[in-house]
Amino acid sequence: MKLFRLNRTQTFIFLCLLPTILLVFGFTYYPIVKGIDVAFRNYSLFNLSDVRYIGMDNFKTVTSSAQFGTILKNTALWVSISLVLQFVIGFGVALLMRRSFRGRGVYQGFVFYSWALSGFLIGIIWRWLFNGQIGVVNDLLLKMGLISERIGFLSDPKWAMFSVIVANVWYGVAFFAIMLLAALQSVPSELYEAAEIDGAGSFGQLRHVTIPYIMPTIISTTALRVIWIFNFPDLIYGMTNGGPAGSTHILTTYMLDKIVFSGDYGQASAIGIICIAILVLFTTFYLFATRAGKAGDF
Amino acid sequence: MKGTKRWLALPVVAALAAGVVSGCSGSSDGGDGKGTVKLKMIESLTSPARTEVIKKMIASFEEANPNIKVELISPPLESADNKISTMLNSKESLDVLEVRDVTVKQFVTNKWIADLTEDTNAWSGYKDLNANSLAMANYIENKPYYIPYGLYQKMLFYRKDWFDEKGLTPPKTWDDLLNAAKTLTDSANNRFGYSFRGGSGADGYIVDLLRDFNGANVNTDDAMFLKSGATIFSTPEAKQGLTLYTNLYKDGSPKDAINWAFAEQVQGFVSGATAMLIQDPDTIDPVKQKLGEGTWATAPMPVGPTGVSHYKVGAAGWGMTSYSKHPKEAWKLIEFLSSPEQNAIFTKTAGVIPIHNSASVDSYFKEGAYKPYIDMANDPEHFVAYKPETDYKGFGEWRKIVQQDGQAVLLGQLSIDDALKKWDAYWMNEKQQGK
Repeated sequence: MKLFRLNRTQTFIFLCLLPTILLVFGFTYYPIVKGIDVAFRNYSLFNLSDVRYIGMDNFKTVTSSAQFGTILKNTALWVSISLVLQFVIGFGVALLMRRSFRGRGVYQGFVFYSWALSGFLIGIIWRWLFNGQIGVVNDLLLKMGLISERIGFLSDPKWAMFSVIVANVWYGVAFFAIMLLAALQSVPSELYEAAEIDGAGSFGQLRHVTIPYIMPTIISTTALRVIWIFNFPDLIYGMTNGGPAGSTHILTTYMLDKIVFSGDYGQASAIGIICIAILVLFTTFYLFATRAGKAGDF
Repeated sequence: MKGTKRWLALPVVAALAAGVVSGCSGSSDGGDGKGTVKLKMIESLTSPARTEVIKKMIASFEEANPNIKVELISPPLESADNKISTMLNSKESLDVLEVRDVTVKQFVTNKWIADLTEDTNAWSGYKDLNANSLAMANYIENKPYYIPYGLYQKMLFYRKDWFDEKGLTPPKTWDDLLNAAKTLTDSANNRFGYSFRGGSGADGYIVDLLRDFNGANVNTDDAMFLKSGATIFSTPEAKQGLTLYTNLYKDGSPKDAINWAFAEQVQGFVSGATAMLIQDPDTIDPVKQKLGEGTWATAPMPVGPTGVSHYKVGAAGWGMTSYSKHPKEAWKLIEFLSSPEQNAIFTKTAGVIPIHNSASVDSYFKEGAYKPYIDMANDPEHFVAYKPETDYKGFGEWRKIVQQDGQAVLLGQLSIDDALKKWDAYWMNEKQQGK
């Protein structure tokens, strides 16, 4: 009983926290535990009268699929290329918007706008933009004389992964622009003055002042972004549905497929656990590896 | 002060916590104690125009039954069936629901929907349902688990003006269709013969075509198999069929169509990029709106080399949950929605084939775009109905496999022989596992 002997203030704090604790347990931890449980069961919507435990069968089924190798490779490409391009372009945009100019607020609105759209909506928009028959991208390229024949951006396996990544970059640039701009505005101007006196040009200032100063933001935003891109099937689902011939499937679209087509929550949960395992490994490794980077912090 | 605060906080916390808990479970028990019954109803194939008609029908129902109120839930089309399954699985309060040919088996296996035999026995209108509607209503276990509101069946839409220009007649066989598609294709001018379906939903197109090539050997009661017991993928005819399928894509369709789903396929036709389209009657309306009168027409489905076309009747309709607290009122609503008058209103908007025998005398369905349906129904020797394979456990997974393999065949990543071998093995395995 000693544990529960709280004084008034502590009781009050505990009671105030209770709703949140309940919410977090009810909507975050319970589903996770349930998901782990389901991953080891024969849990298919087709017949819920037989949800017995089947050991590792779900994991075996999903990993032994002929596609699984392609899916892992696609996931790696999807995350790494999207991340690098989003970061580089987002950083560039943030640098351009650092100094105030007339109409900056409106301009920022335009730059940040893509971040406010839902993934499925972006998927549908880009699906029509990239349409090989009546899509505007093909039309523009034809009119500019850059191509002589329409490209099947979403129907040609050579182009499909490229196309979904382009759409993802378009979407994610805004995030880095927002976050890095905020960080850039916190860099004290004295540092630049000092660097200038020391003879640093604009590239030197970027390398020796700006980047080291905002390094913690860079590390945390890129780590977050990796997790989000990894867990972002909406766009691919809306654009190619994993096609053509499965060439754009990533782990999370594969998981959705298991639910939408097969109603097999057991296998879908198994993929979900594989995703969690990969992300935990990545995050641990990433944060460990970037500790050195943080040392350069001011 | 501190003490007061604490006492104030308690009820607030309790209220919040109660909200959290009750948020997870269904709350409404229907009825407000004054003799009014509240029914909850959910639709699946949601579209704005359709929802509006359903609401109008509900309003007339409520007018005729002042003691019943109906609340309609209209989830977005893409996630509707998943939402319905989830609601049923957690026994959320729900009385009437849209049941589809592809979901009925699942709903029955999980004992989520009620057997309507007693209600249909007492309903005079039941005998007036046409043969296809009765068959679809009794698709599972030979018991009526839902009353269809309409039927889907594919037919051929074609550009009459382009056909006339080239002196072509509407294709009667799949070979005719391929030849017409080749003749009409002029890729330099962005004009193609056929609105190919290679993306989501391609499965039905592929399998129906292979059935037509297998002709009269197909076992129509278990249509993934032949009368001999082998699968429809095991024959040389199947190879011919799949070869025609790939040629139709390569020589008569836009390259992009490998990824086309419903929207692109219809858009291709109405935007004047393609000359032929195979679709359900719900496409009549969009085609009518976009293309001028006289530029397009409809025709029966093309037949295979031995003169047989296999068609599947698709259906969706209204069913009742097995745990409804107001089964009497729920049936009243289903019966009302299924009456000939209400069904006529609904089918004209939703673009589906009506369920009553009396509707075939309605000139709206006898003439014009709907006419091929009457023609096909009157020629059972060449147009053979089959029982869809939706009651196999592996059906959902199969749709994905055949879509993906179909694309791989078109891209040359998978040979026709290998694809057929794989599909053959899949269905032999399904047969072994049983339904």
